[in-house]
Amino acid sequence: MSEVVQLVDASDTSLFGSKAVGLGQALRDGLPVPPGVALSGAVVDAVAGRDEQAIEQVALWVRPLKGPLAVRSSAVDEDGAEASFAGQHLTLLNVPGADELTSALSEIWWSANSDSAITYRQRVGLFSRPSVGVVVQTLVNPETAGVMFTRNPITGADERVIEASWGLGEAVVAGRVIPDHFRLARDGEVLERVAGHKKIAFRSLPDGGTVEQDVAPELIERLCLADGQLAELNLLADRCESIYGAARDIEWAIAEKTLYLLQCRAVTRAGP
Amino acid sequence: MSGVPVEVLKRVPLFADLNAQELERIARLFKERRFSAGETVIQQGSGAAAFFVIDSGEATVFVDGKERRVLKTGDSFGELALIDAGTRTATITAASELVCSGVTFWDFRPLVEENGVIGWKMMQALVTIFRAERGE
Repeated sequence: MSEVVQLVDASDTSLFGSKAVGLGQALRDGLPVPPGVALSGAVVDAVAGRDEQAIEQVALWVRPLKGPLAVRSSAVDEDGAEASFAGQHLTLLNVPGADELTSALSEIWWSANSDSAITYRQRVGLFSRPSVGVVVQTLVNPETAGVMFTRNPITGADERVIEASWGLGEAVVAGRVIPDHFRLARDGEVLERVAGHKKIAFRSLPDGGTVEQDVAPELIERLCLADGQLAELNLLADRCESIYGAARDIEWAIAEKTLYLLQCRAVTRAGP
Repeated sequence: MSGVPVEVLKRVPLFADLNAQELERIARLFKERRFSAGETVIQQGSGAAAFFVIDSGEATVFVDGKERRVLKTGDSFGELALIDAGTRTATITAASELVCSGVTFWDFRPLVEENGVIGWKMMQALVTIFRAERGE
């Protein structure tokens, strides 16, 4: 078994971690996931140790991807670890290309081996050596992005809940804005639209990394999703549920009028 | 490959009794880690995952919020983490761009488990440290 594969071929969670395998399955099912490659935990470990052969192997796979890159950790660990390690393991957005990947992989390796990660593992009773796979994808540079729950995570109601903001989805995920809030019925009817207060947006920088920018005053409280885009998101929710089952937590982005699926995982808590 | 010079490891009290070959095996386990100026390297009270040697740059040590000393190239910190992954006893922040090499508890433990001689020498070093701290 190769330690580096196209994302579409990632199928072994013990090698590549649950995020990589989940995205690989999404690609195999025809969902709109940005192209990428999956790196095993062992390869990430070798690259972090500056093993020249591993560095060259990864570069050969990654060079064909259009930069800049999104480099996301994919925990290779106990069942359900990806969800429980959310916030512990690093994701690096806008890595310029294959040449900068080694230091990005090193940072991600250390995020899984940091003091805070160890403290967390001790608290939840995990004493095994951390292993972290990585997903490297072409970075989507979105106009709008956010999260969608295919079932209301608070009330448990059978409806879609969408939270959206301008730019990269990190503004929503990290709670840096009050996002626009939408509720949709399963048939797509819009049940609620509440404009948020989106003062900042995360954007990619030309030389790598991201920057927090002020949003133009007229856009701060303007809804960032039109009804047609909500309908597309509802269709994506349908497809994700038909493939993975009910109650999904989806990260999505819209760039150049194309909707992308960035992550799809089970909702960790769904209503009463 | 990553690694740190054996001469640097020789200065670490925990490794004082190890020979060059044994130190070389430990040196190969290290991985580079970079910190930005101002970044917290380790936090007092946190669990401890790794032992670090400073490759370049400076770091400041704080205990209970009070500055205690400045660490420079070749200095090391956190070696007891390799044995018990216990609690950090100081906070260290990067005073400049800081490049360290670190080895984790998880990577160090198998080496000691496979090599009783290294383990025994480290036990002796620990006793020496313990006696010194008791003033014997």
